[in-house]
Amino acid sequence: MTPRDTSDATAFRLVTRVFLRRMVDNDLVSPHADRHESLAVLYAIVISVAVFATFFMSTDYLSEFVELPGVAALRALGDRFLFISASIAISALAALLSWDALALEPRDAAVLGPLPIPARTITRAKLAAVMVFAGALTISLNAVPSVLYPAFLTANIRGTRGATILRLMAAHATTVTMAGLFGFFGILAARGALRALLGERVFRRTSSWVQSALVLVMITGLLLAPTVRDTTVRGWIGRAATPYGLAPPVLWYLGLNETYAGRLVADTPIVVPARFALTPARRRAGQAARETYRALLSEFPALAHRGWLSFIVVSVLALATFLWTNRRLPDRSAPVPAPSQMGALVRQVAERGIRNDPEAQAGFFFTLQTLARSAPHRTIMTISVAVGLTHALIVVAHRGWQAVGLQSIPLSVLATSPMLLTMWLVGVRYAVRVPAEPTASWTIRMTWLGDERSYLAGVKRAAVVLATLLVVLLLPLNAAQLGVASALAHTLFDLLFALVVLDALFISYRQVPFACSYVPIQHPKIVWPAGLASALLVTYGFAAAERWALSTAPRSMVFGIVLGAIALLVQAIDRARRRERCFVSFDDRPAPATQRLGLFEYITEHD
Amino acid sequence: MQAGLEAHRLTKYYAAIPAIRDLSLTLGPGRILGLLGPNGSGKSTTVSLLTGLREPSLGQILFDGQNIADHLPEYKARVGYVPEEAHLYSFLSGREHLDLVGRLRRLPTGLRTRKIAALLELFGLTGAADQPISGYSKGMRQKVLLASALLHDPDLLVLDEPESGLDFAASLVLRHLIPILASRGKMILYSSHVLDYVERLCADVVVLHRGKVLAHGPVKDLRARMQSEASLEGVIAQLVTTVDPERTAQDIADIVGQHA
Repeated sequence: MTPRDTSDATAFRLVTRVFLRRMVDNDLVSPHADRHESLAVLYAIVISVAVFATFFMSTDYLSEFVELPGVAALRALGDRFLFISASIAISALAALLSWDALALEPRDAAVLGPLPIPARTITRAKLAAVMVFAGALTISLNAVPSVLYPAFLTANIRGTRGATILRLMAAHATTVTMAGLFGFFGILAARGALRALLGERVFRRTSSWVQSALVLVMITGLLLAPTVRDTTVRGWIGRAATPYGLAPPVLWYLGLNETYAGRLVADTPIVVPARFALTPARRRAGQAARETYRALLSEFPALAHRGWLSFIVVSVLALATFLWTNRRLPDRSAPVPAPSQMGALVRQVAERGIRNDPEAQAGFFFTLQTLARSAPHRTIMTISVAVGLTHALIVVAHRGWQAVGLQSIPLSVLATSPMLLTMWLVGVRYAVRVPAEPTASWTIRMTWLGDERSYLAGVKRAAVVLATLLVVLLLPLNAAQLGVASALAHTLFDLLFALVVLDALFISYRQVPFACSYVPIQHPKIVWPAGLASALLVTYGFAAAERWALSTAPRSMVFGIVLGAIALLVQAIDRARRRERCFVSFDDRPAPATQRLGLFEYITEHD
Repeated sequence: MQAGLEAHRLTKYYAAIPAIRDLSLTLGPGRILGLLGPNGSGKSTTVSLLTGLREPSLGQILFDGQNIADHLPEYKARVGYVPEEAHLYSFLSGREHLDLVGRLRRLPTGLRTRKIAALLELFGLTGAADQPISGYSKGMRQKVLLASALLHDPDLLVLDEPESGLDFAASLVLRHLIPILASRGKMILYSSHVLDYVERLCADVVVLHRGKVLAHGPVKDLRARMQSEASLEGVIAQLVTTVDPERTAQDIADIVGQHA
């Protein structure tokens, strides 16, 4: 190796390390945070969720004294569907959260451009960093379940050999890792293809919206996956039903796993311990399950073939578009797109609406700008919409969108839009706690005139405007199902409900939206599930009341008046509570994530 | 009641480490006060206390005779601030940023729109006014900071390295603007490392070193005290420089010249 080669190799290694750091020091996940702490927290979440989910899914296998191989093989189809879905969706989400770092950025050109490193080395280093990140992520995500799940699955199938368990582990690990890489490379390929097709200028204008749309799809897919039962998966594999949405890619990788290791479980002979006898009915059920599984075997090779093909196509596409779009360092002086004329029009209309209150205008516009343009805030809103959308899709999957009589409207149908609105408003409530840009918060602190009421009113107004847009978008669907008159009444009730929920969510809020330092929620393991349960309770309670109200016109009128009165009451309570100015602390510090030893207090006391 | 800004014996601790100690200064209407000192001398801490962004651990700041801690929002309404680092909301455009600041400062719509358009024009930012700040150069960001500090016609202007990143023409404009504002009764605190600027603009200076005031008064008094006819640079060098600059420069050149 010549000295030149040596220095190139060193530069390659160093630059790869810098790029890897950048993927972890994510603008979205950990802006201005301690990288080691973020990594530790993220990895702990991934591992603990993987262990918990594997154990939770395996309780059926672990609780049986004697597990029948045929039954286990059939039931495992649903579990593996979930494992593969999760691997695809989480890896794709990780790629989406590193969206900007998936390609060379202007800041790379600014930092590395002046150094004597060939552009080719920088591109190769970026590619290597992306590949290492994707590989490390999918392996760390799937390593624990790949060992635990096959072990739990066969724990009570008597007569399973050690080699069989090892083969099951290897097949599971291979399949979910390939699925994860498929998800990651799929996003890389989609990004590269869009960048190549649209050109730099249009891509920069649309990139963040594409990213948000894909995050929405992936989170919704991830939330929907646990609702798919093994009987549904069987129907899809046996072509008794058509898979919808994102299911086909998951089925391809499921086919891959079953081709390599499916028979291992299904063909295990039934071994019963001494002094234990299977009932004839159970033995028959076991045999029937085995036959059902064997009937599906012919479908797996075709699915596996598609799995291999899709993996190769996506990987090649990702590589090709990456190399094409990163063949040069990005130009730092590339023009930045100006905002659209539509934005200016919206601004003029809104300014007229809140003409006499500049602080309310500030709150209104800054909320719209932050929610639409700041990556962390857009992600928060996307996640909250995804939760509401998941609920809606589950309802649609069970009930369909056919028209129903007012007397027999299922609660879940009526709860769809209140649930979406509630999730949206919870998203806004959470988003205001996150500073729009921590280093720029001094701007609001410096201009803050000590009264949050007008500014907060503007923030709430922006949330209501966006919620109204959401309800209006749902109007045609509701009209198709409930009829025009009922749908209009439903929309009006939903809006009043949104006003009540919004004021209730902000009633104890005493910070300055988007400007105070972020303090994480205390006890999230209790708060989030309790919050979700409350949201379900409130929305379904509201839906029950609404179903009663929609049955006759006088009831609708009474319901509308009562809702309006509640909205006014909550507003009045909020106003009364805010009558006195309270101290706003911009700099509340979260408790350190590390163990506190009280040494700092000791030092200051004894200093 | 005395008009102007008075800081009395300000002390600020960060985790028991004092950043400034017993700092006192005064600034009257129509005056320009230069704040000087080497890196780590406590200039930025002083500025953050005087703008009300941080609270002093000890001491108090009076503005027109009133303690600013008791009237912080009212005080901030009369202060314009250009920080050392041009941190702005990068997803906003220059015009949107100024709009946000103007609205939060309760400027009426008509006046705000007129002022913003005029300031963008005068600072040469009209062409980029609707582009996101993320695409701005350092000088353009600095101009947005200057415009937002001036938008509400403040009585006290706190400028921390305001010339940083500005092009030649904008620097000249700033150099002319500051005396004009002072002549209209504004109080200006000017923190900078560019001693040539400070010498031309400021009648009075405060020299900080290791968190303490080494000198406070007119530049000519400082010269007299140091029994020197040297420029302000020479006086400051005598006051705060602990290293031999020529020797250090020689050492740096020697290190740079070393090869394997």
